Amino acid sequence: MFSSRVPARLRAVLAVGAVTALAAAGCSSSTSSKSAAKGDSPITIGLITALTGSNKALGPDHLNGFQLYLDTHGDKLGGHTVKLDVGDEANGGAAAVPVAKKMIEQDHVLAIAGIVATPTIQAVVPIATAAGVPVVNTGGRPTVKDVSHLWTMSFMSTDPGGAMGPYLAQNVQGSVYAFGPDYQGGYDQLRGFTDSYTKAGGKLANDGGKPTFTPFPTTDDFTPYLAKVKASGAKAIYCFYTGTNAIAFVKAWAQSDAKDIPLYAAGFITEGATLKAEGPAANGITTSMNYSPDISSAANRAFVSAWGQKYNGEAPPATAMYSWDAASVLDQAIAKAGSNLTPETINAAIKAMGQIDSPRGTWQLSADTHVPVQKWYLRKVEMDGTALANVKIGDLATIGS
Amino acid sequence: MGTLDTYFVPALDGVAWGLLLFVAAAGLTLLFGIGGVLNIAHGTLFALGGYLAATVSDGSWSTAILGMVVATVGGTLGGAVLAAGTLPLAERGHLPQALLTFGLALVGGDILSTIYGGDPHPVVIPSSVSGTMHIFGHVYPTYRLMFIVVASVLALAGTYVLGRTRAGALLRAAADDRDMVGAMGYAPWRVHAALCGAAGALAGLAGGLGAPIIGPAPDAADKVLMLSMVVIVLGRPGSVAGAFFAAIAVGEIETVGVTISSNWAPYLLFGLMALALVGRTFRGSADSAGAAGVAGAHA
Repeated sequence: MFSSRVPARLRAVLAVGAVTALAAAGCSSSTSSKSAAKGDSPITIGLITALTGSNKALGPDHLNGFQLYLDTHGDKLGGHTVKLDVGDEANGGAAAVPVAKKMIEQDHVLAIAGIVATPTIQAVVPIATAAGVPVVNTGGRPTVKDVSHLWTMSFMSTDPGGAMGPYLAQNVQGSVYAFGPDYQGGYDQLRGFTDSYTKAGGKLANDGGKPTFTPFPTTDDFTPYLAKVKASGAKAIYCFYTGTNAIAFVKAWAQSDAKDIPLYAAGFITEGATLKAEGPAANGITTSMNYSPDISSAANRAFVSAWGQKYNGEAPPATAMYSWDAASVLDQAIAKAGSNLTPETINAAIKAMGQIDSPRGTWQLSADTHVPVQKWYLRKVEMDGTALANVKIGDLATIGS
Repeated sequence: MGTLDTYFVPALDGVAWGLLLFVAAAGLTLLFGIGGVLNIAHGTLFALGGYLAATVSDGSWSTAILGMVVATVGGTLGGAVLAAGTLPLAERGHLPQALLTFGLALVGGDILSTIYGGDPHPVVIPSSVSGTMHIFGHVYPTYRLMFIVVASVLALAGTYVLGRTRAGALLRAAADDRDMVGAMGYAPWRVHAALCGAAGALAGLAGGLGAPIIGPAPDAADKVLMLSMVVIVLGRPGSVAGAFFAAIAVGEIETVGVTISSNWAPYLLFGLMALALVGRTFRGSADSAGAAGVAGAHA
């Protein structure tokens, strides 16, 4: 009698999420111009992010990075005043379809930015592509058949591990124990690591030489897994975890027999609020990421100081930087598209774009996958002033295809 | 050392994890097994306790203890809301109660995430218990060792109150024969309110004590509700001793079991739970007197 309640609960939560999304879609005003804007007439840009639902914690950064770019650029992209049309993808996937349809059909947006969850990409991109509207995506990037109108600002799921693999093969004297959560994102992340690590001559310490996948999201106690790491004689750990899983893993590691085995990970394990909740347990974790707030470049200093001014002196998370770049890419594409401003001319302008100057350094979109070809950095969690921060300690490879 | 040595930490951790599940499930098993109230908002009360304790505690012992008190009081108040809501539904079975408490869980969860945000909340505990200790050459968190002691005391106290005191006897009597308890001069609504309050207090305290292990986050409520359900179903609703042994068993399955075969980790718990339920069904039909009636079984 109990097990039947859980799916019922889930269904109800999904239903509530769907209703909220519909309500949000119905409420946002639609006093906007048509798509063919002339001169400096105002334009409408859509931004879809998770304001409610299971990704609520991630959603605001996707909005805030974009909004910060507008704030610091006179609310203009490519010389046109922008009306930002914000929609809620809620729990992602089908819930975002009415939101995207309304943006395209009623609000006549020139482009859609944001999108947190990969199922939302799979639901929204075909609709946008059919209407010729470019999607400038700031969240995860799943496999999509037709990428003609999809432009990803973040990374390919295999990239963080792909950057770290060769480094660990060279710098760890012995085998590495690899961990990840048991879902598609975890498999992709770990495949990126194990492929590049073993190709560079590394050997996994796991049973059977394959990475260990922990039940997701139900693993709360990682202590038994870490006892196995210690017993395996591994000289380092590599893992990909996010959110509450990351916090539980890091806390267990810092208080286990395995605490003298260095922990390497994809950067998300120590981003933003996750790092704060981990506290001192995270000290010394080394990560690979395509961004570090202490990169010394004019573009990064401007971004970090603008973010700090608005948000209590905090360091910007990587997600906010992807979203800042989404606004920056649209800014340049709209300027280049000139007077004939339609979703298709903007899409063509993004396609023709060369090097992009960004807080993370210069990067460009791969002509093939439409994902950044970019440099990855090695970061270490250290005390920076009074708080723990991800401090850049070196460069890893430049990847992207 | 040998293979056995590898399993020392997982086995010890299984006890700590099991006791956490026991403490987390205690409020639910009390209310469901004895009060007959199916409280879907139980996990939300746990999360409330966790958030309150984490907000009050700043790393000193005095605030840590104050945090436990605030969490318990918060849980009790939550229990009072529950009592007021479920009292009119007392004679209408579990479904209306489940629906109401499900609604309360949704509303409560939304209030919590509005106040505390969608991010996991940091938990600071006194530095003398935030470190590690060495036991037989292994490193283990001090807090979890302390938790084993505190939770054992709680388990003993609970068994004593329910089994050996007048108040406990009254609660068990109310479960068996509500009218008779009324005839003895105790208004049923008072017994109901006391049960809901006690269950809420337990859930809040569990949230406070468990916060350094299952941190307050938006998904904590669902997680705790699910695991508590497993524990009370395995331990038979209302049985404190049953819940205790079920919780320790679940703890060991999730630690030693995972160490023996991590490939089976996703299936171990629910697979064994299914086996236990099937086994019990056959045994139950064999001795027809053993009706595991939800309100009838207790310690």
